[in-house]
Amino acid sequence: MGETTTRALGLMLVVAYATVIGWLFARQPQTIGQLTGGLTSVVGAYNIDDQAFTDALRFFRNDQFVEARLAFERADPAVRDARTQFYIAYSYYRQGWGRLYHDDRLYAEGLKAIDRAMALAPAGRLVVDDPTLGIHTGEEMKAELEAGQRRELSDFNPMRVFRARK
Amino acid sequence: MTAAREAIALPFVFLTVLLLGGLRIADTTQLVPPSPYLLVLGLLLVRVVVQSATLAPEQLMSASRSALKNVNGFVVVATLWVASAQVLAVLMPESGVPRLAFSVFFLILLLNTAAASPDRPRLLRSLAVTFGAAFILKFVVLHGLSAPGEGTIRRVLQALVDSVTLGALIQNVPRPITAYLALGAVLLYLIGLLLLPHRAASPASSLVRSAEATDLQR
Repeated sequence: MGETTTRALGLMLVVAYATVIGWLFARQPQTIGQLTGGLTSVVGAYNIDDQAFTDALRFFRNDQFVEARLAFERADPAVRDARTQFYIAYSYYRQGWGRLYHDDRLYAEGLKAIDRAMALAPAGRLVVDDPTLGIHTGEEMKAELEAGQRRELSDFNPMRVFRARK
Repeated sequence: MTAAREAIALPFVFLTVLLLGGLRIADTTQLVPPSPYLLVLGLLLVRVVVQSATLAPEQLMSASRSALKNVNGFVVVATLWVASAQVLAVLMPESGVPRLAFSVFFLILLLNTAAASPDRPRLLRSLAVTFGAAFILKFVVLHGLSAPGEGTIRRVLQALVDSVTLGALIQNVPRPITAYLALGAVLLYLIGLLLLPHRAASPASSLVRSAEATDLQR
């Protein structure tokens, strides 16, 4: 191999290595799944586990939210899929929803998940066409979760017990 | 120096130091970049490395070299800089008075080394001793004092140290793997310094040193 080729190849390799290190510093992956998934998503080769996603949807529709989240996390180990993160946020919303009060802790987790989902969606636009859901966009979900955490006079309205979960 | 060493080996060694030195493995894994202060200390360390002829920058970048060679040389210097900052970061305690003390200590040490103007072998020996001592202080002494105690006596002693020092000495102790990674980063950095293109000791400076030695013997 000629000297110029070696130098050019070395430069490309070093730039690639430095990019990976920069990405690691910026993203701070916590698991091997997040690491490999993140790197494959950079080159557009990341896919969620369809079987795990189907299992998760079944749990979600049966109101088994903890099981659903475990399966969603298995489906998207790298936390790179906006739709899966939307469903995770939705599972926190439905689990935390109550006629008399909402669970602030679960709603806070839901907000984190919907923020992740909107950050991952192209141009931040997230629409999920699932007829079984009452909320279809990231903005609606975020507004619903934020409203659930606010303390307002309407919280004391006795008519709120007739509100339906979305 | 071969093209492969300049274009591939040295940047990879220094970037690996940046990566290994940034890893903090506790309950969660964190990758910590060097702070701006440590980047300044890193610059001082690079200056000392150049001053001692451990690195001959004219062998990496000069008008007589082609653009590609100069880019390769620049990459070596840039990666040496961030690795220097990171190797100081990995040896510095994470918090409290020890961190402040180490910050001041490294600054004074680097200024003193620049003033002493050592040659390449002396600088490498000095850095090996300094980094070794800092490693022992942080990962053996401080982490030993801060590690959660198992026996009653150990817990009582730790509570005493914590109360006497008003909590200023106790550090968050990461998992043991962090110490191994830190040791790897320090060793790799020293190997990187050894591999840098350097100036041969000039006969004039050797004569001066032998004359000084003769004077001392008298």
